[in-house]
Amino acid sequence: MMDRYTKLQMVGIYIGIFLFLSFMLLPFVEMFVTSLRPLEHLRTTPYQFWSDKFSFDAYRQMWETVPLLGRYILNSIFIASMVTACTMLLVVPAAYAYARLDFPFKDTSLGLILAINMFSGAVLLIPLYRVLKALGLLNTYWAMIVPGIAFLIPTGIWLLRSYLEKIPRELEEAAYVDGASRMYTLRRVVLPLALPGLLVVGTATFIGAYAQQFLFAITFNQNRELQPLPAGLQEFVGRQQVEWNQMMAAALTGVLPVMLIFFFLQKYLVAGLTAGAVKE
Amino acid sequence: MATLDLHRISKSFGTAKVLHDIDLAIKDKEFVVFVGPSGCGKSTLLRIIAGLEEASSGKVVIDGADVSDAHPVDRGISMVFQSYALYPHLTVFENIAFPLRVQKLAEPDLKQRVMRAAEILQLTDKLKLKPGQLSGGQRQRVAIGRSIVRNPKVFLFDEPLSNLDAALRGDMRVELSQLHRELDATMVYVTHDQVEAMTMADRIVVLNGGRVEQFGTPMELYHHPATKFVAGFIGQPNMNLIPATVLGTDGGLTVEIDGGHRMTLPVDSSAASAGDKVEVGIRPEDVDLGDGGLSISVRVLERLGGVSITYGTIGNGETRFCASLPGDAAVREGEPLHLSVAPSDCHVFDASGRVLRRTAAPALVA
Repeated sequence: MMDRYTKLQMVGIYIGIFLFLSFMLLPFVEMFVTSLRPLEHLRTTPYQFWSDKFSFDAYRQMWETVPLLGRYILNSIFIASMVTACTMLLVVPAAYAYARLDFPFKDTSLGLILAINMFSGAVLLIPLYRVLKALGLLNTYWAMIVPGIAFLIPTGIWLLRSYLEKIPRELEEAAYVDGASRMYTLRRVVLPLALPGLLVVGTATFIGAYAQQFLFAITFNQNRELQPLPAGLQEFVGRQQVEWNQMMAAALTGVLPVMLIFFFLQKYLVAGLTAGAVKE
Repeated sequence: MATLDLHRISKSFGTAKVLHDIDLAIKDKEFVVFVGPSGCGKSTLLRIIAGLEEASSGKVVIDGADVSDAHPVDRGISMVFQSYALYPHLTVFENIAFPLRVQKLAEPDLKQRVMRAAEILQLTDKLKLKPGQLSGGQRQRVAIGRSIVRNPKVFLFDEPLSNLDAALRGDMRVELSQLHRELDATMVYVTHDQVEAMTMADRIVVLNGGRVEQFGTPMELYHHPATKFVAGFIGQPNMNLIPATVLGTDGGLTVEIDGGHRMTLPVDSSAASAGDKVEVGIRPEDVDLGDGGLSISVRVLERLGGVSITYGTIGNGETRFCASLPGDAAVREGEPLHLSVAPSDCHVFDASGRVLRRTAAPALVA
């Protein structure tokens, strides 16, 4: 065992973890607490941590205030899933090619692909708008899916490529000597071995797709029926007042499915991120 | 039936030429071992035979057909890799069956062939396990199993035993030799271990710097090394090489070795002349105790039981000399040691490292 820490060091470590986690989790706590508050509480001073008037009413009312809320949540999941599926379809062969094949301008093109990540989506919104308009994709699901795919491919390729590179070349050579084609080898040997890596990339892509929807949705889509949750949450902003408690409740409800997926995949994610680190 | 011929195979990686015009003719059912130090090109040559690497020039001919541009399967070869290259997610059965699945062989036929391979390799009770649950030797056998199900014409082995521990390596050597007899197939085996080469090969190819130094039977290489390199590579411990000066060429070669001892050696001296610098090669196991003119100062003594090996220097103290003596020889570290060697046991190499043919050495074993 390597974890020989003194008591003092352990205390230090836990304080560090506590600070780190509070920084990341406090917004969620505040979100949850706000969702329980009655609306009039929000502007009272002093700040109340708890009161008897807290209730889960907002979780009921939100469906009435924004009737399409369920649809928005499903839209979000649908868009993120489509983005993930399409991205994976494109990333797997590309990453394999970059990991294994030799072709002209390999490093240059890989660098260019990474360079895409240096632009945030916001910088490209106007050109993208023109492109999508020309393609006639505005106000469709595709308006939110296509740009999503484009921005997630680079990271996907880089992540998966380094994972595929760790699969011993001799396995593929053995398959080749035994008469297997590249596609057969990819299907029967490489992909099954890359499963943890695929899960990591897939999850990272899904999270990315979920997070970036907002920008594309408010820019490229006017169709209420197609809006994903982050854009749909705007509807809690009314003319007279903002239903903060319901908005927070809706946001939490929308994030819940993703969080559940994460909990179940956590085991694989950790395995995937550390795979190949230790020789068996 | 499978002969394997290489015609003037050359290979360059960029500007580095790793193989120079290799010509080899391997006979049907022969077990040929490529041996040489790392970087000598032996693995590259094997990969060219396999079709994993393309030769820069030259031809690979199997059974009279030029297969230089053919796919490995069409060449009729199969290969066992150094790391075994087993598929960790498949069972032993599926690993062995892999080449047959690629061929889309019918299930009953496939099963029968996998079972037969498993029987030969004593793996029948391991078929449901994953490679991770097997020992090194068993993994090695699975890798061999995968190579034999397809009934290839030529088996290629790329340092298959180098990942095993010493004891297991000895067992696997015996198993591989048996397998060769059972399968009656042509096998090409790459190793850097001269013991593997000596024990298993029908014939050995010694490679050095991308060139064939010598191609012959193990005993041919032992008794008649063509070059200094082969002499130093074959035989354990290595042959001693002592600088010497030619004094005369009448009735053999008269030389004076470092340290002043003069000997007349029965070798072909027609190309030598007095004053030439040569090297006299003496195998550690060819020396005997007794004052025959070789005086050694012993630095280290290793008693292995049956034999004692002494390491020391000869002559002016700069030339190393190793001797293999009887187990209980009365030798002590730090004391001078007097040895003799029969002139007919000596090898002589000229300044370019070529051997002067021995005229009194054991006849070649066919």
